[in-house]
Amino acid sequence: MSCVSAKCELIAFTSATPKPILQGVNSSDSNARSAHPLAELRRGEAAVVSGLAEVAGFEDGHGSGAVVLARLRDLGFVAGAHCEVIAKMWPVGDPMVVRVGGSTFALRRAEAAAVQVTRLEREPATQTALAPKNTSAALA
Amino acid sequence: MDAPVSTPSLRIALIGVPNCGKTALFNRLTGSRQKVANYPGVTVERREGERAALDGRVLRILDLPGTYSLSPTTLDEAITRDVLLGRVADAPAPELVVCVVDAVHLPIGLRLALEVKRLGLPMVLALNRMDVVARRGVHIDMARLASELGVPVLPTIAVKRGGADALIEAIQPARWEHRRSIAAPAWHDATAEDAEQTQSDLRGLLAAVGYAAPKESHWMARFDAVLLHPVLGLVVLIAVMFVMFQAVFSWAEAPMNWIDGGMAWLGELTAANLPEGPLSSLLVNGIIGGAGAVLVFLPQILILFLFILALEDSCYLPRAAYLLDRMMGGVGLSGRAFIPLLSSFACAIPGIMAARSIPGWRDRLTTIMIAPLMTCSARLPVYALLIGALIPATAVGPFNLQGLVMFSLYVAGIVAALAVAWVMKHFAGVRQYSPLMLELPDYQWPHAGNLLLGLWERVKIFLSRVGGIILALMIVLWFLSTYPAPPDGATGPPIQYSFAGRLGAVLEYIFAPIGFNWQISIALVPGMAAREVAVGALGTVYAMSAAGDDVAGQLEPVIAATWSLATACSLLAWYVFAPQCLSTLAVVKRETNSWRYPIIMAAYLFALAYVASFITYRAVGALA
Repeated sequence: MSCVSAKCELIAFTSATPKPILQGVNSSDSNARSAHPLAELRRGEAAVVSGLAEVAGFEDGHGSGAVVLARLRDLGFVAGAHCEVIAKMWPVGDPMVVRVGGSTFALRRAEAAAVQVTRLEREPATQTALAPKNTSAALA
Repeated sequence: MDAPVSTPSLRIALIGVPNCGKTALFNRLTGSRQKVANYPGVTVERREGERAALDGRVLRILDLPGTYSLSPTTLDEAITRDVLLGRVADAPAPELVVCVVDAVHLPIGLRLALEVKRLGLPMVLALNRMDVVARRGVHIDMARLASELGVPVLPTIAVKRGGADALIEAIQPARWEHRRSIAAPAWHDATAEDAEQTQSDLRGLLAAVGYAAPKESHWMARFDAVLLHPVLGLVVLIAVMFVMFQAVFSWAEAPMNWIDGGMAWLGELTAANLPEGPLSSLLVNGIIGGAGAVLVFLPQILILFLFILALEDSCYLPRAAYLLDRMMGGVGLSGRAFIPLLSSFACAIPGIMAARSIPGWRDRLTTIMIAPLMTCSARLPVYALLIGALIPATAVGPFNLQGLVMFSLYVAGIVAALAVAWVMKHFAGVRQYSPLMLELPDYQWPHAGNLLLGLWERVKIFLSRVGGIILALMIVLWFLSTYPAPPDGATGPPIQYSFAGRLGAVLEYIFAPIGFNWQISIALVPGMAAREVAVGALGTVYAMSAAGDDVAGQLEPVIAATWSLATACSLLAWYVFAPQCLSTLAVVKRETNSWRYPIIMAAYLFALAYVASFITYRAVGALA
């Protein structure tokens, strides 16, 4: 089900995304209306990763920011990956639990903020509830 | 038939991401024929084992620490990379790499496999948990995977008997001999382009083999909804910890009584059948009385380890780390520190070594420095003895007062640890960001075989301690407290005239302000080598100072009769803090690679212990 809706997203929207800093991501692969940090997603929300971006929060000056980004990438947070927020700790979702590529990870807020994602509309979503369903019917 | 002249064995290394079933596979391959690198004197923690290959030669199998990537973020991961590259002094590069990949989480494991393959070492890929992935309706085209990857791919089910047969068939030394690489593996640090290349290779592979991520199973999602909940999850965590510590006391009671009874019987039997003299005294007072007093605590230690192993095996611990990350962050610790700190409740040494999985030197150092404040199992004998002797077993609500006192001692250690961490956070200067990024693996039932193997390891270590260092110390102590014999016409108990008695008299000057008598002062000395020895030492000292023929097993009533409550409480407080274990300090020296930190640790722990005991002694004395 979620795969189908992911496909609709890919077909339905073909506008360009802002270029992420770290990776030379092919923006046409990861269509989106706008990119958000993963940290902003609510529990239960699903999204497609569009890329990784440098953020503040790894304050140290030893280059561990790059280490964090490289490890996020190795864990599967790469453009096109489908992810879903499983849990968020009170009060501000630090840390949070995210499922990506079939594996589940606990990420701090600062780490999740480095992952740029595009929200996937879920079936009971607000105003576009019908649109994805129609598209998937057309696909089938 | 004819003995092979050339090198008869094949060095194999198992590599894989954490929680891919690599260690279970290692156990499946080697059974109990494994050496787990023991604490002092080893520079690299290694699990190594042997098994006979189908062609009769020997496979020497190394279980490398799990890693997500060859670009390390922790010391553990760096060790894995360095062993593969042949950079570790006494661990030559493997002749065959078995890359273990969890079929359920194919992408993350396959990405590592691609990275390893680039090193150019001979390699096979063990696709583990094929049964689970089939149940979840995901098909993986293994033939295609093997041809695309260019290495043999073998299905394994590490937790099932016979689940490694295909792998064993494939790793016969004769088949790999000609592939032995001569040159060291090619290596350069992965660049962004390398990473991009690996990712696109990975995408191609996953598409070729027809992999689609399986949905999280329904019951797992249900479990996570509760166990990861900000409130319910914490409630469950506290309940689990509480049950664990209560179980250590209630379940262990019966087997402890059996061991105690057995030791007393053995002592009486020995005393009855040997002529009175030095030999009888050595056997009854020194060996049976001393070592036996420690042996009694084996059941408690095993129950504690059983819980920790089961929690580890069920993959609950990373979830606890997630729940606690925010709170522990308040005192400057990573949630990741929860796992090493929990194992420090069994023993600080594996705890300190497990701190290697914490990225960031500052966080790791803080975890190492506070690990000895977690109440380790070697303190249990001392606590149990004193509580049993002086605290009544009255019921307080549904709980037992003895259990509650024990619980509060554990809490005291934890609170002190958090306070020390907080102090270190505020005085330790610039901190390096230490990421969490922790995988929460699928829940699984603890595997009985793995639990038994883990417990067996603990039994072996404990018994070899009792039979080795503890026994030796008991004999030395027996000698010191027996000789020289008292002069004719002496009135006091004979031990007062012995070497130990004189030493105790000197130490008493230092320890009198915190309420320790000379017997305790003596017992603290061998207790430096191993905390639990203090109990045996008290057993020996009191047995030697008794006029009649009181033997082992009689320590509790003696303490109840001769110690004040203030003294006992003061000793309990001392044991919460004191750095009474030289092997812990040795392992800190090794892990931090400097004398500075073990010295700082010993100093601060001694100071804390003395102050805490002083306050406790005065406070309880004033109240009583």
